[in-house]
Amino acid sequence: MPTVTINQKSLTVPEGTTIIQAAEQLNIEIPRYCYHPGLSIAGSCRMCLVEIEKMPKLQPACNTRVTDGMVVTTQSPKVKEAVSGVLEFLLINHPLDCPVCDQAGECYLQEYYMKFGLHDSRMNENKIKRHKAEVIGPHVILDTERCVLCSRCVRFVREVSRSHEIGIFNRGGQSEIRLLPDQVLDNNYSGNVVDICPVGALTDRDFRFQCRVWYLSKADSVCNGCSRGCNITVEANRQRAHHGEGRRVMRLKPRFNKEVNRWWICDIGRYGYKFIDDPSRLIQPLEKQGDELEPLDWSTAAERAVGRIREAKQRGGAGSIVIVASPQLTNEDLFVTRKFFGVDLGIDQIDFRIPDKNTLSDDDFLLRADRNPNTRGAEAILLDGGGFDLQRIIESASTQSFGLLYLCEQDLVKKLGSEPARRFLGQFDYVIYQGSNENETSGLANLVLPAATYAEVNGTFTNFEGRVQRIHAGIEPLGDSLPAWRVICKLAQTAGFDYGYESAAEVFVELAQTVTEFEGLSYEKIGSEGMKLPETQPVPA
Amino acid sequence: MISDRLLAEFDSIVRNYPVRRSALIPILLTTQEHLGYLSDESIAAIARYLNLPAIDVYEVVTFYSMLRRHPVGKHHIQVCTNISCLLLGGEEIFERVSKRLGIKEGETTSDGQFSLAEVECLGACCNAPAMQVNYTYYNDLTAEKVDQILQALQKPEER
Amino acid sequence: MPELALLTHVQHRNLMTVEEYRQTGGYEALRKVLLEMKPDQVIEEVKKSGLRGRGGAGFPTGMKWSFIPKNSEKPKYMVVNSDESEPGTCKDRVIIEKTPFLLLEGIAISSYAVGSSTCYLYIRGEYYDQAMILKQAIEDAYRHGFLGKNILGSGYNLDVYLHRGAGAYICGEETGLLESLEGKKGWPRLKPPFPAISGLYGCPTCVNNVETLAAVVSIIQNGGDWYAALGTPKNGGTRLFCVSGHVKKPGTYELPMGIPLRSIIYDYAGGMKDDRKLKAVIPGGSSVPILTADEIDVKMDFDSVAAIGSLLGSGGVVVINEDTCMVKALLRIARFYAHESCGQCTPCREGTTWLKKTLQRVYEGDARQAELDQVLSIAFNMMGTTICPLADAAAMPVRSYIQKFRHEFEYHVQHKCCDVKPAVRI
Repeated sequence: MPTVTINQKSLTVPEGTTIIQAAEQLNIEIPRYCYHPGLSIAGSCRMCLVEIEKMPKLQPACNTRVTDGMVVTTQSPKVKEAVSGVLEFLLINHPLDCPVCDQAGECYLQEYYMKFGLHDSRMNENKIKRHKAEVIGPHVILDTERCVLCSRCVRFVREVSRSHEIGIFNRGGQSEIRLLPDQVLDNNYSGNVVDICPVGALTDRDFRFQCRVWYLSKADSVCNGCSRGCNITVEANRQRAHHGEGRRVMRLKPRFNKEVNRWWICDIGRYGYKFIDDPSRLIQPLEKQGDELEPLDWSTAAERAVGRIREAKQRGGAGSIVIVASPQLTNEDLFVTRKFFGVDLGIDQIDFRIPDKNTLSDDDFLLRADRNPNTRGAEAILLDGGGFDLQRIIESASTQSFGLLYLCEQDLVKKLGSEPARRFLGQFDYVIYQGSNENETSGLANLVLPAATYAEVNGTFTNFEGRVQRIHAGIEPLGDSLPAWRVICKLAQTAGFDYGYESAAEVFVELAQTVTEFEGLSYEKIGSEGMKLPETQPVPA
Repeated sequence: MISDRLLAEFDSIVRNYPVRRSALIPILLTTQEHLGYLSDESIAAIARYLNLPAIDVYEVVTFYSMLRRHPVGKHHIQVCTNISCLLLGGEEIFERVSKRLGIKEGETTSDGQFSLAEVECLGACCNAPAMQVNYTYYNDLTAEKVDQILQALQKPEER
Repeated sequence: MPELALLTHVQHRNLMTVEEYRQTGGYEALRKVLLEMKPDQVIEEVKKSGLRGRGGAGFPTGMKWSFIPKNSEKPKYMVVNSDESEPGTCKDRVIIEKTPFLLLEGIAISSYAVGSSTCYLYIRGEYYDQAMILKQAIEDAYRHGFLGKNILGSGYNLDVYLHRGAGAYICGEETGLLESLEGKKGWPRLKPPFPAISGLYGCPTCVNNVETLAAVVSIIQNGGDWYAALGTPKNGGTRLFCVSGHVKKPGTYELPMGIPLRSIIYDYAGGMKDDRKLKAVIPGGSSVPILTADEIDVKMDFDSVAAIGSLLGSGGVVVINEDTCMVKALLRIARFYAHESCGQCTPCREGTTWLKKTLQRVYEGDARQAELDQVLSIAFNMMGTTICPLADAAAMPVRSYIQKFRHEFEYHVQHKCCDVKPAVRI
């Protein structure tokens, strides 16, 4: 393994490591536009030039592999001069329209100019006029005047999405990012080109003029859009409530996870956050009064729910109660659900699996057919006791009647179709709906309990591979809504079971002690990259 | 569209290479020689023929100066004004052609007979000033010679 | 008349068929190579000859060949660079038009030496007639068994394919050429890897210029020592000098390496046209630093020209007389590089265009004097910072013209017209 010295700091790295990679490990910043670890090496922006002992010419750090004994400097006058020269070249035709550019604040022209440039403009020529603010697809706007021709987007559509919409046309100073005549950038990964664009050439239509990036708060989370569990950052505007139509969540950005999504997320996930600040959010408990749902406070709602559950149990036994949880819930939510309904109330009929009439499919990249973030967790937590066949009740359209249904975060009308959903719900004397947003199903419930969305809670999801990953609240639960596990705790407390959990973390400690598959896990071990469920021995038959 | 005859030519070009894509530029040239220019339809057909994303073909077409997406005149006059020609009056030759035909750089006469382009070094430096009409070189040009050449091209039946 | 190595038999006629070529001893060198020599012996002979790449860089040819791995699981390719596009250069064309089989024989010998059985001959698209000459010559060579299977009964096979470019100076850069040959934009590749290891289709590839390959024939015929002795130390053989511009007899002359530039201009090219005074000479194509009239005693070999701060380059000698506006000459060259930059690297893409625009204003007298230094600084920032040498090629003339003829540039800025008589109206 070669040892390299960069700016007097030495490091031994595996064979094949490039200077730019080694520098990253030493926390030495080497500026770059074209280099992106998820794409092939272009080596063309020439920002990462470094000086290597015994080499007369500066070399690009992105394409130069470390050899043993190599001595590199990124701070010599020669390097500084070259880098500031390259930066000047990039800026001569830049429109400097930062005041109206969404990228401002996270723009690498701005950042590197402050660090490596700070020159006065020597450009006395007319700047080249090019295409501005072209809508090139459902999610992306192109401004070729701001483009530095780093070719990241071109390589992305060639190598990652393999959709081939973007190219660099012409040559020399005429070079320009273009699409085919009459073609649009429309693939399920199109938003990623905005993330990798180091400048304001590709911006997001959804985020356009919504918020300045320096007003954004960021919370590490996991996309709830499918069972891949792509790592994301929930970016919210908490300071400028009047911006962005009053929405709090402004955008989701992918967060690197080598094992899950690397640098990318799909558009379905990226733009799937709108429900969080949607007017349909349930912000207080509601109770059916005639045809209308009327608001009530939490303690009344909890008493009503517990009262109805007790009543159903007294009348028909535990067998007259069905709990339908959701693979949208966190592991912590599901554990408390099991603990309260299953263990403390002795209800066996707990499931989460609702057949979906809408057939969805995997794409050949990240998106999975299962559009739920925690199916694997729900299986581990709810099904380890074995079998209750919810599907049979739904499909057989049995005439059996039940006392009470406690339904979490599942729009049965959408999944089953209106008629089957109504028929199923009709089998119950009383329906409690717990969820974040109003939908046709919640409209059919007798009691509605408002739950927080995944962006508003701490907890964990388990992806399809069994990787347990943490999510962090980026914003407060809206209105009176509560994290699902707190809703259940409230019911439990009302029913006389005081769990005493202060946080999701405390729930998880107990979960790890109780549910076999989670044995040995902790938030610390899970960390920011997640941890796979320990291999569990198959239970002998 | 691409004729069967042209397709047969494509087939023979492709056979020269172990990797199909290598045939792209020769195929584009051949197509342009047959059809005058590279239309969006031709480009799409060639991309399909070579199994390439169309964007790759556009990148190539817009990169090379001989490849064109629009028709030119029947006689495409390309006057070199680079250094060796410049020293011996290349610019004056260009002006002469321009004036005689009444067209500027990049333009085509209304009858579609002539188009004019100022081009980079044609590799005829020792016979400067020089120009190409389509692929034919005309060397050691003078104003009189240009007049004669244009006249001859204008009246092909008298040649 | 000095001894020749390339145009020996074509001073008065061209050799356009295999028969004509053979009557002058053609293909004897190939016979010798295939039947009597091992590839390594061929490489040794070429090393001995001191032959250096005639495309412009002057890299020792024998050494280049020795970089091609002897044992390769992948096929090895020979690629001929006939993308002759350096302004002031038209020498490869002369070989093709006068003696195409010399090139084909040189290709066969060289391909054998590096162990390649497939050769692509990349010729610039504008050379249509020249491509047709080669096409016919290749067919003729196949018919006579000088190409194809089992050449001269030696068991050696070689296929040569003609490949036409489509107008891009950058494809003269060997990796730009390889990209183009693979059906892509001619964007030069990052090095390493070098073509000798990973070139065409990722296989070991040897890229040589037409004149270089043609020279190999006489090296085999007469020996490396003979060839070396034609030139100067480390600069073996002869060179095709394309003399253009203000001379009485412009033309391509085969002359020994190391011949004084003065002799080329006055003894061979007939001296100055209309007996005007000599002002400047571009010694090796438009991209090299310019020489002034008092620098023409330089010996025309790679090392001697480099010693006075210019380059022998492609052999394109452009002679410039006293009536020429150097500002205009430089502006035209700057326009060329802006047109031909591939656009890949920032300094070249932006720098060539910036230089062109500023020089246009200098020419029009619409610039401040301080901008001359700014132009020099832009050119400086372009040098040594890009993937290929085009940025340097664009920057070198800018620096040398302004340094050596600064008063003309200042005159333009101050008087909005030329300092040459008769003054050209702008």
